Amino acid sequence: MLLVLKHIQKRYGGVAALRDASLEVQAGEVHLLVGENGAGKSTLMKIVAGLLRADGGDFLWQGKHVQFRDPAEAASRGIAMVHQEPLLAPHLSVAENIFLGREPRGPLGWVNRREMTRRAASLIEQHRFPLQAEARVEKLSPATKQMVQICRAIQRDAKLLIFDEATASFSDAETQEVFRIVRALRDSNVGVIYITHRLEELRAIGDRVTVLRDGANVHSGPLGELSTDELIRHMVGRELGSTYVRTPLLPGDELLGVEHLTREPALHDISFSLRAGEIVGLAGLMGAGRTELCRALFGVDSISSGNIRIAGRLPCLRSPEDAVRAGIALIPEDRQRHGLTTALPVSHNLTLAGLRGVCRFGFLNHPAENRLAADYTARLRIGAHSSRQLAGQLSGGNQQKVAIAKWLVRQARVFLFDEPTCGIDVAAKAEVFRLMDELARGGAAILMVSSEMTELLQVADRILVMREGRISGELPGLASPERTTQEQIMRYAALHGRGAAAGENNE
Amino acid sequence: MIQRLLPFFALIALFVILAVVSPNFLTATNLASVVRQTTVINILALGMTMVIITGGIDLSVGSNLALAGLLGSMAMARYGIPAGLVAGLITGALCGLANGAMITGLRISPFIVTLGAMGIYRGLALIVSKGLPVSDIPPAYSYLAEGTLARVPFALWILAACAVVVHVILEHTRLGRYAFSIGSNPDAAYYAGVPVRFHTTAVYTIAGLLAGLAGMIETSRLMTGQPTSGQGYELTAIAAVVIGGGSLRGGEGTVLGTLMGALIMGLLANGSDLLGTNPYWQQVIIGGVIILAVALDELRKRRTSA
Repeated sequence: MLLVLKHIQKRYGGVAALRDASLEVQAGEVHLLVGENGAGKSTLMKIVAGLLRADGGDFLWQGKHVQFRDPAEAASRGIAMVHQEPLLAPHLSVAENIFLGREPRGPLGWVNRREMTRRAASLIEQHRFPLQAEARVEKLSPATKQMVQICRAIQRDAKLLIFDEATASFSDAETQEVFRIVRALRDSNVGVIYITHRLEELRAIGDRVTVLRDGANVHSGPLGELSTDELIRHMVGRELGSTYVRTPLLPGDELLGVEHLTREPALHDISFSLRAGEIVGLAGLMGAGRTELCRALFGVDSISSGNIRIAGRLPCLRSPEDAVRAGIALIPEDRQRHGLTTALPVSHNLTLAGLRGVCRFGFLNHPAENRLAADYTARLRIGAHSSRQLAGQLSGGNQQKVAIAKWLVRQARVFLFDEPTCGIDVAAKAEVFRLMDELARGGAAILMVSSEMTELLQVADRILVMREGRISGELPGLASPERTTQEQIMRYAALHGRGAAAGENNE
Repeated sequence: MIQRLLPFFALIALFVILAVVSPNFLTATNLASVVRQTTVINILALGMTMVIITGGIDLSVGSNLALAGLLGSMAMARYGIPAGLVAGLITGALCGLANGAMITGLRISPFIVTLGAMGIYRGLALIVSKGLPVSDIPPAYSYLAEGTLARVPFALWILAACAVVVHVILEHTRLGRYAFSIGSNPDAAYYAGVPVRFHTTAVYTIAGLLAGLAGMIETSRLMTGQPTSGQGYELTAIAAVVIGGGSLRGGEGTVLGTLMGALIMGLLANGSDLLGTNPYWQQVIIGGVIILAVALDELRKRRTSA
């Protein structure tokens, strides 16, 4: 056994990323690692590659207990990770990148460039990589850049290669090329761990599969014995986190209408509408284009074609300034960076978007601002000593409430929530849901992006599913008597349109 | 809180020490000269405070001061004092507007834009004047820098008025609030729909206007329009803001702090003059004080955040 992980645990602050993860990889096999967003796949691989240290459990490498101090130590022991975003020196050649830090030396310690290029060329030749040793890396496509990484790993005699979502952005031809190389590596007795979200890829490449869910193993075994339906069932099946129940409303007029929205290369032909009083969920795997859609609707990114209608009008959305004026609000995923200003008081954060409301001729009305801030702090039960406390001193949940309240002050009507419960505790989650419900009752339209399918099923009236920049399906939510399952969402999120339909028919 | 008042205590300590050590310090003539020497820097520093609060920097204010003073004195020589004043102020504001427009329009860092502008404005001043000072200024104009009103130097009244206006802008207007917000977290300001470009440009324009005003006072002080005046003033102004608690990372700075920072440097220079310190050492001392002030401020912040 090349690699044995047993009962690995890892906590970030109070959150357990890995509770009890185990994995065994042999030399000469391709082992697939699958699971939902946040299941702990990347954390587990970072531990193997020396980027993180486990808090508990056994880590055996070639039969010996190990604990790597840093990625360099893992690399020296034969473990290499192929990153989604290749970490290469763009201005250097392919050969220089392959030998980076291990350049063949001449007699006086100079780099022997000719020898380096020759050895790189023979390595490329031997594995039939579509590369040229002297090409500059910045001119290569993402797929070929990844091959340079693979070359580097092979040059260092890697015994285990980890591919983390390696082919997420590749075309079919490029993916096939990577697969060919992965198979060749396997045949030369290298162990490969392959993380992927694309379920149809699995059978083309994998020998065995391990499924992680909520930081623990749910299944491990040969891929051939597992049907796709079983696999999906293993991946989802997450337990309901809280007992929040929402009663849907009768939706009113359309507030947001999106027609054929396209932004190359992230979003393709997206059409949907949001009506007043509606909460619509937006599901999808990492990289499906959900955040990109929010950014486009909010004017952060320009769109290549298509229409965005707000309450029957077609405003020009070239910046968030335009979007805010049109009544759109974005509660961004990265709260600390985009959602609030941690170094300013809660009150200043609350009035930032709607500052005109407490101004006269450009002058601030401090008493009015303070009253407003105190009012919202109390109404949303924001846990702050006073509205003068700095926003950065609040807990994640309270920061989120501030980020939302900013838009209540502004009286926005279309709300885009991007991962609104990311990094906040269960009690705060329920309060955020309550707040969203209140907004919907007040006539707002809400689009809620979430990677937690259980949340979407608890809160959303309808659920849109995105996959590779398209809406791949729409499922009924609370408003419908038939209950959507997590398996259904996962099928639309992870399988091609055809696969999704076939899965439906099987039931 | 005590450490936040550090510039204030340092100023008082410096004042007391100089009063005790040098008999000439606490005389009306000397204090008036300190005020005249520091007014120009102080006014530049007020504009710089606003710019630094937005997370930017303006290296062009010294050159802007020279260009505005030069064009103002040329206009004054031909069309009289009011026209000259207006020309100087407009020149300053236009230079600031150009800085702001380039920073927000071309999306280049303020450091680079104003570094280039520093050369451009200085070069324009030299081209327009052919390198020669303009000296036919109406004698009455010396009142601006040298005259007194109610026994207080007139320049001090101007400075006080500017300080009040900048303080009101920063603490009591939407522009000021946006300036702090842009400096603290430009992304969050942008995502909240704040018109970041407009307000950034407005801040640079105000800083330019104040540089123009400082240029007209400098002209009155020298009674010539000097294309070479104001060299190095931008760095002294930045130092004043920083000693007064402003952060070059943006989001921090106060009018009172900046005034104290500028006064501390003015008193250090004046004190070394009175005590006969080697002028070469003056630069060493002032440089050391700048680093010490920022180091103490960083220490305070680290402690409060920990």
